[in-house]
Amino acid sequence: MNGIKRFLTSRQMVTLVWVIGLIIVWEIGAAAVEQTKRTPEYVLPRIYQIVDSVFSQKLVNGSQTATEIVLSNASVTLVRAGIGFLIGSVIGFVLALLMNMFLPIEKIAFPYLMIIQMIPILGMAPIILAITKDIDKSRIVIAAILTFYPVATNTLAGFKAVEKEKHELMYSIAAKKKDVYMKLLIPSCMPYFFTGLKLSAPMAITASILVDTLQGGGGLGCMLSQSLKHAMSIYVFWQIVFFSAIVGILSFYLMSLVEKLVSPYKKVGG
Amino acid sequence: MLRAAKINEDFGSNMISDTNEFNTGIIIENLSVQFPDKNGGEHVEALRNINLEIKPGEFVSLVGPSGCGKTTLLRTIADLQQPTSGTISIGGLTPREVRLQQKFGIVFQNPVLYEWRTVRRNVCMPMEIMGIPKKERTKRVTQMLELVGLYNFGKKHPHELSGGMQQRVGIARALALRPKILLMDEPFSALDEFTKEKLHLDLQNIWSKTKKTIIFVTHSIQEAVFLSDKVVVLSPHPGRVSAVVEINLPRPRGLNIKDTMEFNSLVSKVRNSFEGV
Repeated sequence: MNGIKRFLTSRQMVTLVWVIGLIIVWEIGAAAVEQTKRTPEYVLPRIYQIVDSVFSQKLVNGSQTATEIVLSNASVTLVRAGIGFLIGSVIGFVLALLMNMFLPIEKIAFPYLMIIQMIPILGMAPIILAITKDIDKSRIVIAAILTFYPVATNTLAGFKAVEKEKHELMYSIAAKKKDVYMKLLIPSCMPYFFTGLKLSAPMAITASILVDTLQGGGGLGCMLSQSLKHAMSIYVFWQIVFFSAIVGILSFYLMSLVEKLVSPYKKVGG
Repeated sequence: MLRAAKINEDFGSNMISDTNEFNTGIIIENLSVQFPDKNGGEHVEALRNINLEIKPGEFVSLVGPSGCGKTTLLRTIADLQQPTSGTISIGGLTPREVRLQQKFGIVFQNPVLYEWRTVRRNVCMPMEIMGIPKKERTKRVTQMLELVGLYNFGKKHPHELSGGMQQRVGIARALALRPKILLMDEPFSALDEFTKEKLHLDLQNIWSKTKKTIIFVTHSIQEAVFLSDKVVVLSPHPGRVSAVVEINLPRPRGLNIKDTMEFNSLVSKVRNSFEGV
């Protein structure tokens, strides 16, 4: 009995209920759409139809199956998103470090950061593309821009959250600035830094997909819009929607995993 | 050569030779500390005209109700707070010079441990900063953890320890530096009575082995009388010294000394010294 009770209140149970709930709502919706539309798969297909298309051997563009199209285009987008994410993380961390070391830098840089963050990606993407003149570079730049802000602000918050007494302990033994950073500030900001990474990883992916739509040169976003416009296969569209969502979630968990491996913190009880 | 020889000396004798090199007596003259008022109004007078002499190797307690400036006095000695006027001389040096020479060990009211470091590495941390060689660090960490009775907990993280154990890690960390002067700011105030009494005995033991100058801030009169050679009674608004009570009880002191007439009359003497409370 106890085991059942523990299972019912466990995290896996929550996830399970969530997934089942989503499937039920989806299927009810799909059933309703089926009654009213001529081509219901354009609005909301049944889930089994999407799953079916993943394993289907039917060529949809003459040479590739739907799944092959998704995977081949995914690498184009995701690799660029990943590179941009890495660059953005490094810039974000260094910026937080500089803002914490020098107050004028914080005062000067912060408003710019806010402004950059407020420009919608949709507006920023064509500008970046015009500047870089290269879709691959644009993907990287956009992913980096979206990454560095959450990383910078969270890391800065982490630096500022260090208790006064911990600073005083360092001061009382005449610790050099380098030691204060290496032994106190950087280790204690790690949970904040990783919060920034977890926030921005899915965003970097979404942004790269969005940049794809600007040009016809391949990538998940490009296929997303083409599969809607051209008579390729609507299931390419649905596969990309699901694939992107899953990769976004996985990127979050990947960051959690990296945190467990890298961060010096040991979770309470763990 | 001399340095290496010094390091190789055993724990106790090294401590004694250290105190001989540096006079850890503290002379405080006409010390005043004012805090600017938050609303820009008049200054708040935390300490007014403090005169105090602490002999090398003496165990001195600062007692008083909240707001009497006892922590401010400790922080000013530690160079964590700047005096408005007056001077503090520690063996002829200013607090700042003593701090830069890394001769202070501080134990805060909270343990102030680094959560991501194990107990051993917490004790080790200040020694890393002071550039003490690894072999020596390891030796001292072991010594200090044995001293505070936490040798078997070296690999644990702070959150796995009780409050009393965490506080003992903080004490071990301060002692591992072999500070000339140990400054303790209400280190036991958050602990239960049993743990507190045990740590009182431990601290007395550590002090008698190492003969450090210890300044101990507390609001407990009993605690002050039990531990100290000298109890400095501070009164609030503004913070000032209202009495200095010499405690001539024999050492080592056991817990049952608290039942004696002498102990209790000293407690009364301290209690009666407060002004304007």
